[in-house]
Amino acid sequence: MNTEQLIASLSAEVPRVSRHALVRRIAFGIVGGALVAMVGVVAVLGLRPDLELAMQGFSFWMKSTYTMSLGLGAIYAVGRLARPVPASLRGLWFLAIPVLVLAGIGIGEFASNPSSEWLGIWLSRSWKVCPWLVLALSVPIFIGLLWSFRTLAPTRLRAAGAVAGLAAGAWAATIYCLHCPEVSAMFVLTWYSLGILLAAGVGALLGPRLMRW
Amino acid sequence: MAQSEDQLKAWMLGGLDGDAAAHGALLRELVPLLRSFYGRRLGNAQADVEDLVQETLIAVHTRRAAYDRDRPFTAWLYAVARYRLIDYLRRRRIAVSLEDVEATLVEEDFEQASQARMDVEALLSTLSPKQARAIRETHVEGKSVAEAAAAAGIGESDVKVSVHRGLKALAARIRGTRT
Repeated sequence: MNTEQLIASLSAEVPRVSRHALVRRIAFGIVGGALVAMVGVVAVLGLRPDLELAMQGFSFWMKSTYTMSLGLGAIYAVGRLARPVPASLRGLWFLAIPVLVLAGIGIGEFASNPSSEWLGIWLSRSWKVCPWLVLALSVPIFIGLLWSFRTLAPTRLRAAGAVAGLAAGAWAATIYCLHCPEVSAMFVLTWYSLGILLAAGVGALLGPRLMRW
Repeated sequence: MAQSEDQLKAWMLGGLDGDAAAHGALLRELVPLLRSFYGRRLGNAQADVEDLVQETLIAVHTRRAAYDRDRPFTAWLYAVARYRLIDYLRRRRIAVSLEDVEATLVEEDFEQASQARMDVEALLSTLSPKQARAIRETHVEGKSVAEAAAAAGIGESDVKVSVHRGLKALAARIRGTRT
């Protein structure tokens, strides 16, 4: 096809693109993937039986506030890396705040318990499965973000893959809160974060391959 | 330059609002810009230049949502164009390794030449804009000192001094990175 014909066919139909198209596209990808992950939690893992009671307590909100704040920070970075012009990621250091706050709560926990119980608080019952379940739940959300990126233009693919994985992991962890009965801050700080970081790492590995355009 | 940015951006915004005529005008106007952008970097590979131009037009069309209305359009365009060029060079390297040796050698020369051109740009970007411009025009594009001075609107001795100081700074930098 010669270039003139190409231009004619490209400008034959020019749909309107909203000012918020990029944000909306990313939100659709994440929400779509999150719904699949939620079905996975409800159908396969099962909601924690005391969910209603837990939602009135501190630890449930501590966990989900931690994961959601990481998720929001990661979405901000995804939005920046979805555009081709290199944008500064300096705002990302805000992600350290939830980590530090949770670490503070965790230290308080340890301080108010005898050291013989620390290991039990830290590992609890589900430390072996928690990171892997978070990673598994992040898969549909990451796929949703890959769909979002199909009409966007990332140029730093490894970084874009990493923050997409981070966002997928953080929202997967938020959904995992509906299943996971753990209550300790140190547990969340270690094993939830590990799952989220695994998702970010896998994203960084896959980004250059799957986000090429 | 500033005028063409304003015009291009106005068309882009028109296209984003659903104005097909503005969108067509934009794409048509981009063709010569992109041809010279890729032509300068790929030299004689005319068919590839045209492929890259078309790929970039398609990207500008399908990935419009990634344009931020509050930012300059040309910066966005060249970021897209640069990405397509890098992707092209990568694809090229993979395809080349499967072909026969002779073709590979020819391709590698070509690759190195474009690589060298990018290295020069990277080095020049470490200098002040004035020095970088003086060196680019007199040593890379082959203009005379008088032409470069007229284009930049400065004196000839100013160009010579900029070139001299710029080259000296570059030499120092290269020595510095090697030791």
